[in-house]
Parts: sequence; C-alpha cells; structure tokens
Amino acid sequence: MTDTPNGWMLKGSQILLESLINQGVDTIFGYPGGSIMPVYDALYDYTDRLRHILVRHEQGAIHAAQGYARVKNFPGTVIVTSGPGATNVITGVADAMIDSTPVVVIAGQVASAALGTDAFQETDLIGMTTPISKWAYQIRRPKDIAWAVARAYYIAASGRPGPVVLDFTKDAQIGLAEYVRKSCSFIRSYVPVPEPSGSSLAEAAAMIDAARKPFVVYGHGIILSGAEKELAAFLDKGNIPAGSTMLGLSALDSDSPHYTGMLGMHGSLASNVLTQECDLLIAVGMRFDDRVTGTVSTYARQAKVIHIDIDASEIGKNIPVDLGILGDAREVLSELTRRISAGVQRDWDGEKATCEAVEKKMVIDPEIHPSEGLIKPGEVIAAVAEACGGKAVVVTDVGQNQLFASRYSRFKQSRSMITSGGLGTMGFGLPAAIGAKVAAPERPVCLFVGDGGIQMTVQEFGTIMQEGIGVKIILLNNNWLGNVRQWQSLFFDGRYSFTRMLNPDFEKLASAYGITCVTLEDRAQMPAAIEQMLADDRPFILNVHVAEEDNVFPMIPPGKSVGEIMLNNKDWFVYGK
Amino acid sequence: MESEKLYEITAYTENQVGLLSSVAGIFTRRSINIEKLLVYPSKIDGIHKFKILARTTEKNARAVVLQMEKRVDVVRAFYQEDNERSFREIVSVGRFLKERENNNKQQ
Repeated sequence: MTDTPNGWMLKGSQILLESLINQGVDTIFGYPGGSIMPVYDALYDYTDRLRHILVRHEQGAIHAAQGYARVKNFPGTVIVTSGPGATNVITGVADAMIDSTPVVVIAGQVASAALGTDAFQETDLIGMTTPISKWAYQIRRPKDIAWAVARAYYIAASGRPGPVVLDFTKDAQIGLAEYVRKSCSFIRSYVPVPEPSGSSLAEAAAMIDAARKPFVVYGHGIILSGAEKELAAFLDKGNIPAGSTMLGLSALDSDSPHYTGMLGMHGSLASNVLTQECDLLIAVGMRFDDRVTGTVSTYARQAKVIHIDIDASEIGKNIPVDLGILGDAREVLSELTRRISAGVQRDWDGEKATCEAVEKKMVIDPEIHPSEGLIKPGEVIAAVAEACGGKAVVVTDVGQNQLFASRYSRFKQSRSMITSGGLGTMGFGLPAAIGAKVAAPERPVCLFVGDGGIQMTVQEFGTIMQEGIGVKIILLNNNWLGNVRQWQSLFFDGRYSFTRMLNPDFEKLASAYGITCVTLEDRAQMPAAIEQMLADDRPFILNVHVAEEDNVFPMIPPGKSVGEIMLNNKDWFVYGK
Repeated sequence: MESEKLYEITAYTENQVGLLSSVAGIFTRRSINIEKLLVYPSKIDGIHKFKILARTTEKNARAVVLQMEKRVDVVRAFYQEDNERSFREIVSVGRFLKERENNNKQQ
C-alpha cells in the first residue's frame, strides 16, 4: 500500500474490498474459483472487517443474499467466479429483479485480452443478465472499480430496488490503481424516486373522501419504502379495509382491524370479495400480478382505481387506472393522510366479518383444527405462529408450503415474510433462511419448506453446519410435489404425472451434517416438538409427515374471476350469488 | 383487440456498451419485430439516439417506452405514429438533463 496524493495505490482486488467496506458491506455470500482468485486472495487479509459465508453452490449464495437483503434492508453481496459460477446465480438475479430485491453480484471474468475468445470459464454474463438485472456492468480497469461499486449499491438500493451485476475481469483485479473513496447519489439519466404531482394527490384525496366503499390493496412497496406506519395511519384516518399481496405480508400487523388478509389465488375470501364489492380500489406499491387479479377482464370492474407506484411502467400495465400517482409510497401515503377527511361514513356493512365467518367454518377450521387423520400443513404453521407470537422471520420455499405459510402465519413486525413471489423459485427457501438468520441473528427464523424444494438446494445444509447458522427448518413432508399434484388433481383429471417423490431418510441426511432432526407424525407430540425446536438457537429440522393429498384453499382457479372461489374440493363461493 | 400501427419509438441514452441489446431486448420480450433501427449521436453532447420503427399496438408502444425509460442509462423515450413528426423531443431531453443537473447542484 503506497500513499498517493489522493489515496493509496492498491491492487484492483483490494480496491473492490475497500469499496465494499466503504459502502457499508460487512457480509459476503460467495464461492471461489479461477477468475475470482485474486479477490479471494485479498479477502484473506480482510476477515476482520468482512464476514464471508462459503455456500455450497452459487445459487445458494444469491438466495442467501436475497434473504439477507430483505430482512436487513441493505443490499446483499455475492462474489462468484466466471462461467458456471456466474451462470449459477442467474436464477437468483431474475428472482431479485421480479421481487425488487437489492443485491450486488460481483462475478469474476476472464482477463480482458481473452474476452470473446471462448476462454476457459468465459461466458457473456452482461449479455445474459442485462434483461434480468437493474444494471449490469463490466469492470475492465482497476481505476473504474470504486466508481462502479458506488454506482452499483446506489442503483441496487434506490427507487424500486433490484439486482446489479458487476462482471470483473481478472486483469482489473490484479492491476494497480490509486484508490480514492467514491460515493454515488446521482445519475443524470436515472430518476429513482419521482415526485408525486400535487394535482394528482388532491384528486386522489377527493376520490377517497367521496368513496362509499374504498378498499386498499398494498404490496412489497410498503416495506421497500418503509411506509408501514404511514399505511396504518392512512387506513385509520380513512377507515378503510386493506388486503396484502404475498410480498406485502408483514407490512401491516395481522391483528389490525383494517386487515382483510392476503389477496389473490389463495388469499382470503374477504380480500377477494371486497375487491369485487368496493367502489374505489386504492393500490399502493403493488403491480397487479396475475396471481392477485385472476382474470383481468373481470377484476374490480365496478370500481374506480387509483394506482400509487414508484415505477411509471407499472401504472396501467395490467389494470386500467382512473388515476395514477407516481411516487414513493411513504411520501404519497403521508400526504394523502394529511389531505383526506377524518370520520367519513363508509357503507361497508359487515362484508369482511361475513366472509371471515364463512372462511373460518369452511376452510380454516378443517385445516388448522382437524380432529383426525394425519397432521395438516396449515395446522403446523398455525402452531408455529402461535409459539413464536409474531416474533419470527418466516421464510418459505415455493408451493403449498408457501401458500399455507402465507395464509396461517401471523405478523407483528415488518420484513418478516421472505418468499419468492414473482419468479416462484423452488429451492429459494433454505439459502434465503440462512441469509435471513445472518441478517437477524437475534430473531427466530422459521423456514417452511416442502420435501421437493428442500432437495433443490439441500447442499446448503453444509453451510449451516460450517457456520452454525441456527435456522429452524419445518419440513412439510408429504412425498409429493404438492402444488403441482393439487393442480393435477383439480384440473388434469387426477393424472399424477411425475409428482410422486421417493425421498431420502431426512433424519440420516441431517445427522450427516450434524443437524438435529426430529420426525413428527403424531398430532399429540406437536407442541412439545415445536417447543424443543425453539428452545435454543441451534439449527433444527422438524420433519413433519403431513397429510399426503391436502389441497390449499380457498383457491381461485386459473382463468376465473377473483369472485369465483373454491372453498374445498367440491364447494364454491361465487360472489353475487 | 387494439389495432397495430407503425410506431416510431425514440430513446435518448448514455453511450454505454450493451445498451443496444438492452433496448432490443425490451422488444424481444413482447415479440415485437423491429422494422428499422438507427443509432447515432444526438445533438446533445454524449447522448445517443435510438430511432426504432416497429409495428405494434399503442398499449405496447407505451409499455415499451416506459420499460425503456426504466433502464438506468436511458434518459428519455418517446413514441409516436410514424406519420407524426415531432421536433420537440430534443428540446425536452435537453431541458430534462438541465433540470436534473440543477436539482443535483441544489442538493
């Protein structure tokens, strides 16, 4: 390290690590390899300032970084090598893009002289990740590193967050440059947070005051903008009920009197019925995903629609809107709360309570309080939620485990539901839970995962073992790819094409990694098993043999309106009938 | 179904490697065939202009423009029917950049 007039002469690999520290990074999820070896060599001297978690597969690194980012509200950092190391993170990059998760991936690349020559482990990472990242940039000179890293963290975290990919050539890692600290808070072509227009806010406030049956649908944007308090205040003052998307879960206390439950395909009856009954739909920080809307041509057709979002390309993309407000959810909600009148009489007439009573009798009670038969997945989730009292970070994989967990978990604190919503990535859960626990070591982290999904990234048991990460893994084991089986049962004449799983002995597998595993088959043993699981901070697997062919209800079948809801295998609730 | 027309879509961008594929990818995703494509330096120093002719619906043209603007290195994007010619764009982009720089200086 030589002093220069403005900084120090460092190798590119050192500049990278100094720049990461300068951005506030203290944790890296990664895996070494040929083209990133200079960075790993430099990392050897930085272990006092940077915690590096060695995963077992690069996909594990990026999902862990996503879990970390979502809990910590700080971009997750991934370091991998070129070629297969880089292509192995692609699923996670796409997942982070569609779920607006800030992550920065630093991938090694062959030396710039070898670019384009099909060199060993060379791949066009920029070409591959441009469509699925917020920004993808190749660093070819050591003097560009500090600038690129500052820009990467700014882009990843600002506005609507997302993944950034830095493709880092080996010669840039080795070469020397003067290191000068850089920060970035402005890019002239990039407007992360648009200003809401005063006239649109005034118009919205007037529409809200005039509405007889307003209904709020909110999403991840509430959490991303830190608008949890502003949302609660808005609902209080306006006396407005509100339903959440899957990624919005935990933004509002599950016990809020305004809360109607999750929206969409497996959402609550109340949330979907209120969508079809309201006269004003106020959407905040959500993007009208097809899992929320069902058939768009029949979605909330009776209502006027106000859509508040930070991303101009979302407004009017799926659902025609009467009024779009561009801006940050926190700022817009606090401004609207100031402008709307308090104590406006609404015409909601017990619709929420009626729906909740029907759902409790027809769906919830049979799922979480069954009197006989094998343990049901919803029953396990409700019992874990009860034992955790809303303190846990809930992480899910994808499929029935995710849908049941979304329905039966209870939340008291924001940033407590980590799931792969938009991409629906099986295998996300286990590594994401590792990242979540690293981000919040003081909180219990409960992963709900199926026997299918856990085997997609099961190698991360090794990471848990090596790092001693105390995640609680609740394996809802039914020996099926449950969600696909459910669809085969309901929509493909019960033709169970390749959804039956012959599973390993999970106790033996856990034992190989030194992780405690308890198998649960008897309902009477469940409270004690959950107590044992939560008793200390060590990793734990609760292998629950659940009912093999249980289906998630309510369900809006594909192609149906959100008012046409299956309550079980034979009963329907059809709105307006 | 909304009818398809020929739209001229323009984008003003920073001069970054990979922007062509980034911009083209937005059309590919929606299976919109690009009929003509021109990329050249605009009248604003350091800003490039993409001029793209494509047959699509207005809804798609609008969506494509908004998704282009979402890219970090795209300054502004516009669409118009091929037979409309607007000379206001360049003025608008120049004004936008000036405002952005001024806002940044004030902060």
